[in-house]
Amino acid sequence: MPDALMLLVALVVTVMGMGWLALSVENHWEQVRGKAACPPATVKSLRVLGAVALVTSLVLCLMVDSASMASLVWVMSVAGAAVIVAFTLTWRASALAPLVFWTAR
Amino acid sequence: MATASISRSDIVSRTLAAVFGGYAFTWGLIAFGMAAMVAADMEFHDAEHLTAIIGFLVFLTIFLTAFAARNIVRVWLVLVGGAVVMASAAELIKNLIT
Amino acid sequence: MLQNFRQSMAWVHTWFGLALGFVLVVVFFFGSLSVFDREIDRWAIPASRFEPQPMPSFDKLMRPIFEDMQPLPDARAFTAPLVNGPLPDHFDKVKSWGAYTTHRDPVLTMFAGYEVPNAKDPETMIFAQRTVDPRTGAALPDDRLKVGSGFFYPLHYSLTFYWKNVGYWIVGFAALMMLVALVTGVVMHRKIFRELFTFRPRKTTQRSMLDLHNLTGVVALPFHFFFAFTGLVIFAGIYFPIGHTQLVALHDQHEIHEALETGLPHDPAGVPAKMASVDAMVKEAQRRWAEKGMAGDVGFLQVQHVGDANGYVSIYRAGTDRIALTGEGIHFKASTGVVMREDPPPTAVGRINEFLTGLHLQHFRHWLLRWLYVLGGLLGCACIATGFLFFVEKRKRQHAKQGSSGARVVDALGVTTLTGMMIAALGMLIANRLLPDVMPDGWPLRGDMEKYCFWGTWVMAMAHAFWRTAPVAEGRIAPAWREQCLAIAVLGVAAPVLNWVTTGDHLLRTIGNGYWPVAGADLFMLTGAALALLAARKLQLRAESKITVNTPAMEAGHA
Repeated sequence: MPDALMLLVALVVTVMGMGWLALSVENHWEQVRGKAACPPATVKSLRVLGAVALVTSLVLCLMVDSASMASLVWVMSVAGAAVIVAFTLTWRASALAPLVFWTAR
Repeated sequence: MATASISRSDIVSRTLAAVFGGYAFTWGLIAFGMAAMVAADMEFHDAEHLTAIIGFLVFLTIFLTAFAARNIVRVWLVLVGGAVVMASAAELIKNLIT
Repeated sequence: MLQNFRQSMAWVHTWFGLALGFVLVVVFFFGSLSVFDREIDRWAIPASRFEPQPMPSFDKLMRPIFEDMQPLPDARAFTAPLVNGPLPDHFDKVKSWGAYTTHRDPVLTMFAGYEVPNAKDPETMIFAQRTVDPRTGAALPDDRLKVGSGFFYPLHYSLTFYWKNVGYWIVGFAALMMLVALVTGVVMHRKIFRELFTFRPRKTTQRSMLDLHNLTGVVALPFHFFFAFTGLVIFAGIYFPIGHTQLVALHDQHEIHEALETGLPHDPAGVPAKMASVDAMVKEAQRRWAEKGMAGDVGFLQVQHVGDANGYVSIYRAGTDRIALTGEGIHFKASTGVVMREDPPPTAVGRINEFLTGLHLQHFRHWLLRWLYVLGGLLGCACIATGFLFFVEKRKRQHAKQGSSGARVVDALGVTTLTGMMIAALGMLIANRLLPDVMPDGWPLRGDMEKYCFWGTWVMAMAHAFWRTAPVAEGRIAPAWREQCLAIAVLGVAAPVLNWVTTGDHLLRTIGNGYWPVAGADLFMLTGAALALLAARKLQLRAESKITVNTPAMEAGHA
């Protein structure tokens, strides 16, 4: 896979990871799934999904660049992803619904 | 916001301690660190860089402590005393190894 | 100091953050622009709009230029006070030659260092500098200002205030205060993880500004911390010059010891000697790097003790594919071309230092990471800006009641250092396009004129800011913000248009040819203009809606 494509995939995975972490926070869950509180098991699985996604994107970054560069790319992509997720929650929270497609409305 | 009143002299004293006391202490620390590391056979520029890295982190800590500490007099004593002791130690070591 | 630790840290965050925030936003903004400094140079100097080149032949192209170079008037003016008596018309005793290039430089900058006769300190040197087209050796006119690498970049680390290094010290102290603000900010922010993604623009201005301040500060916290910290480490020699003052004896001892250990002579022999082919040395250096599996281009080339029997040539590999700036130095005896020394791999501390400085100075080839750096820098600006806005929002009604103009002053300074700063940068680029190619006699050089236009525009923006923030003293929003956003929108379109008119390089052509340095700069300005227009519109709507809402100040008037 060419480098640019792999980095793009890494970025997308980072955004998904930050999305899952955001959804594990009660206020943001409500923004996306309505007043129904998030069951504790789901909160846990969202945190795990988020962590796994972030680790995956780090591995993808390491496959493209040397360790010193990849770690910087990854840290900065986490920052960018957090901003994207925050603004999405503010203006189009429903866009994050696909991330929790298996849960009830 | 703050129910306790902060006296102007307290602000001035803590700011001076944080900035100038902090600088003096950091100078002493870096000088002592450099001299000691070079005496222990570390390469000069390595000693320079390592002590600078540690020094700035210490300066940061001192700055915050100057405003967090209850007794600013004690802070002044440690900063000035420490600066003098460490800078003097650096002189001693320098004279021993050059 | 105050009731408890958290309150004391909040006090420090507020007041030191405010005071140094005005400096920090300038540092962060021009630091962000500096990520693409050489691309901005391309925009400002149309003659240099061609593809980056590797270092050219030393023997055929660089050497005659080195031999011809003489210090320019500003270098002479700088050195004059360091000398007993007058400076010679022509400097003959050359000590060193140097050239530095990265994968982003079309043009090559070359330096020559000369001995200064009758100098107060015998080690004093004076430098000549020339920028050339590496394909032909043709020199760029000396009065061309590299707006990116020669102005925005030095502005970000020194405010171009060089008297007694005061500008460096101000930026350094601001950097330390950035670290203080980050730590105290974390201490103050109780729900740092819970509120990581929170932004509520529909609530009060105060709440939404604080949300944005927290968001931009926390998501890029490692970036903000590392950049402030590594900036301090890079200039540690200025802030704690212990190796040149208290412990200079250790430094000198080391230099002698190192010269003996490495075999690279510290002083010239005083015996003239011819120079062997440097091109052959470059070829050998590249061969050795390739042998180690690290094939690469020359990043830095230096000749020490030019024309002397002790002369040596140092060739360093460009760190394009790694964080460290340059490396794998190989040193050749100048008169014979024999390898005297291959630099050993760096020590552990050396590697840490290389990582920290390289992280900040970014000579690596990685376009995504560069743009992520710009994002980080702009997030830093947003963090500081929203800090000011929050400060003003929180206090302006209170100050209005008390008849104090503190909030107004802070707001005016905020306008000056945010929108005013952007107007100054755009004004400079516009001046760059409008000024004549050669200034008429008696006028300052073109490059100096561009700098005057920058500062002049900023002063005018400041005057406008102070004039048009009067409503803040009554607890209302200042029209200065909207007006300066409109100015940015206009200027941000004018600059690319002028680029087109004066050079023929419009976006269809630059994008069509894939010439991204200029296309990118134009697109960045147009995007900024669009965002500024959007902001102006939002501010207009907000100002109009506030008229129908009774502010507490008006309420107080009623009672």
